[in-house]
Amino acid sequence: MMALDGLRVIDLTSGVSGPWCTKLLADYGADVIKIEAPGIGDDARGHGRFPDGVPHREKSALFLWLNTSKRSVTLDIATATGRALLLRLVAQSDAVVTDQSASELVRLRLTHYDFAAVNPRIITTSVLAFGQRGPYADWRATNLTSYAVGGHHYLCGDGDREPLQNGGYQALYAAGTWAFGATLAALWDAHRSGAGQQVEVAGQEVMASILEIMLPDYAYRKSEALTVRRGNMSTAVVGIYPVLDGHVGVHAMPKNWPQLLGALDAHWMATDERFADDRARRGNDDELMAQMYIWSAGVTKREAYERGGRFRAPISPVNTVADLLESEHLNARNFFHEIEHPAAGTMRYPGPPARMPATPPTPRRAPLLGEHNAEVLADLLGLTPGDLAKLTAAGVT
Amino acid sequence: MTSIASNIQHPTSNSDAGLPLHGIRILDLTMVWAGPSATRLLADMGAEVIKVESARSWDMLRSLHFLSGPPPGWWNRSAYFNHNNRNKYGITLDLQSERGRELALRLVAMSDLVFENYRADVIGKLRMDYDDLRAVKPAIILVSMPSHGKSGPEAHHVAYGTNVEQLAGLVSISGYPGDGPHTSPIAYGDPNAGALAAAAALAALHHRRETGEGQHVEVAQWEAMIGNIGEYVLGYQMDGDVGESLGNRHVSRVQGVYPCVTDDEWVAISAGSDAEFAALCAAIGQPEVACDPRFADDVSRLLHHDELDTMIAEWTRMRSQRDAAHAMQAAGVSAAPILKIKALMEDENLRARGFWESVSHTEAGTWDMDGPTWRMSRTPAHVRVPPPMFGEHNDWVLQDLLGLTEAEIAALEAEGVTAREPSAGVHS
Repeated sequence: MMALDGLRVIDLTSGVSGPWCTKLLADYGADVIKIEAPGIGDDARGHGRFPDGVPHREKSALFLWLNTSKRSVTLDIATATGRALLLRLVAQSDAVVTDQSASELVRLRLTHYDFAAVNPRIITTSVLAFGQRGPYADWRATNLTSYAVGGHHYLCGDGDREPLQNGGYQALYAAGTWAFGATLAALWDAHRSGAGQQVEVAGQEVMASILEIMLPDYAYRKSEALTVRRGNMSTAVVGIYPVLDGHVGVHAMPKNWPQLLGALDAHWMATDERFADDRARRGNDDELMAQMYIWSAGVTKREAYERGGRFRAPISPVNTVADLLESEHLNARNFFHEIEHPAAGTMRYPGPPARMPATPPTPRRAPLLGEHNAEVLADLLGLTPGDLAKLTAAGVT
Repeated sequence: MTSIASNIQHPTSNSDAGLPLHGIRILDLTMVWAGPSATRLLADMGAEVIKVESARSWDMLRSLHFLSGPPPGWWNRSAYFNHNNRNKYGITLDLQSERGRELALRLVAMSDLVFENYRADVIGKLRMDYDDLRAVKPAIILVSMPSHGKSGPEAHHVAYGTNVEQLAGLVSISGYPGDGPHTSPIAYGDPNAGALAAAAALAALHHRRETGEGQHVEVAQWEAMIGNIGEYVLGYQMDGDVGESLGNRHVSRVQGVYPCVTDDEWVAISAGSDAEFAALCAAIGQPEVACDPRFADDVSRLLHHDELDTMIAEWTRMRSQRDAAHAMQAAGVSAAPILKIKALMEDENLRARGFWESVSHTEAGTWDMDGPTWRMSRTPAHVRVPPPMFGEHNDWVLQDLLGLTEAEIAALEAEGVTAREPSAGVHS
């Protein structure tokens, strides 16, 4: 049994944010029915990477990752028939997740009010870069633009260079993660109150809410002292250092200083007045950094990490994805799930983010395009094989 | 101490009665950012979150970048702490004392959830592990958020949010192209694990409602971050490439960050399809570029990306980031200003959406704080309760929830089980 068994979610999203939200719902047990455009499907199917670099809509790494445990139904929701079938599915579901703009949903006549008319308890979650309302509601968006307007982009990178986006699609993932939780909170309420509602998650707001100390400090003091790009080095003991075979990160708060000295085998520093306390160390940051570089030039990632663990100092390797797959620790915890896919083959997928021992999630492979048309439309809506053939001939599925 | 009853500011108000998580009580043993960010999301939704600190174990954030002012009370004036703990109640209980632990377990017995983000071994040393909690509340849901998880050969390692993204592989795929790994500007592992832990807690509540069964949810922050680069993990297994950073660029789109008229002011622009690229060319006054064979499709555009960057930058340099972004969007091209914090707090979209909420606090004054990010149409949430001062709700919890007498409450304080001030020196 999984935690979200019994919940059904209609997924009208594509790309990263919406699919990540619904993948999490699906991996934890919800029956997620992914509605895809006939013949084309989710944009992520064209994204890659692909085995041997050959594009194939069933083999895109981004799609395979973001759509585990879902069922795929192809349906042209812009047609009257497609829309009617969709609403019949909504009538039998708990939540709908969308990533279309408000104006697009009005045009399709697929707003929360259309869903609520057939299911008063429905939760309709919108996950968008700028939100459904506001002056940017119809703006076009990518991960880059969400990173930019969320306040992170300006702060990321070196002070004397252009702002830097961090790796992958972090602003898109964050919006999806937040939409996952928001949907569950609204579902909890709907079960209790018997009433559905609209849930809205805007990527810009999500990113603006996780600006660590930089936003709160500015909001309090109106000082821009902390709102600068600091590169990889905040201080000598909060930064990333090159080591013999890569890089390691160090993050020592004042209370971690004794442990850091143990890990560095630098006990002499404990009696050096330049490093006597936090204030002294801040005043002699350059000299401390020089000592750190001397240390880092002589260790490997593994050695630095092992000593960090032994002395309880926050030191970690900058792992590559190859390091992850080989990690003794992650493998001892059975973090990766080996999943076979008929087109893309067998790969090891990262496990779900939270472990729930009473309801362990068991992710299944991503669906082929329209793989579950017959299953869903026949079982849930009672369509006959003849009906299905007509829908396919008409291009609705 | 005179009559405690007359001094109690009963914090439970009707303002949260309609919120989704009204009636859910959380005992919050978390500190710093990861755990508090999880309980903040749930507190925003109406859960009653009781945050526990003690004189010798208090939230380090209280000591970071607090507002200046006369002592005492600096520990109540940290923007960082206050930001992460709004909508929560705060008490002090020394869990290392027998009496403190006993009272904490009595609170567990009347709670739905307990959150902790201690180092993996600490909750066991406090004798407050899942089995201890289950003994007093069989259906309790414990959410643990250790960096490396509670099992495995590296479970004894310690890590902050910066370390978490290093461990998880994100830093290895971040950076200026050819320039090595780069950190995110925040301790990204923290809020990521927090949001996922909050969601997992809700999933556990769903299961408890259906079956009556609680459980011990474990969010290993390292593991929780790997999903955010899952496509790189699969991609590596397809082609053996660990993934070089593209910096601000993209695998198929024309995009980058471009300088504007003012120094260190930038605009992000991104064009994917042929149509969007043609719109970009038209917007910078060079529609003929879209027909140039060098830029005929996305593959050739990537080969000649530097030339495009030069053309785009010539246009952006004449404009403010706002004008450039608006012009691009009007033409149908993805673009946005790269907002500094100050500009972010003045941003017209966030202002129009009512994102900022003014919060007044007895010792820290009044300032703007970001509002709840889980936006609900029928049950809208707001900042209802200002962040707790150290031990602010001791009397309410000890008297109203636990039924202690005035004399007992005074004795606890005299014994140091509760406190009104943190011990200095813990985090300095």
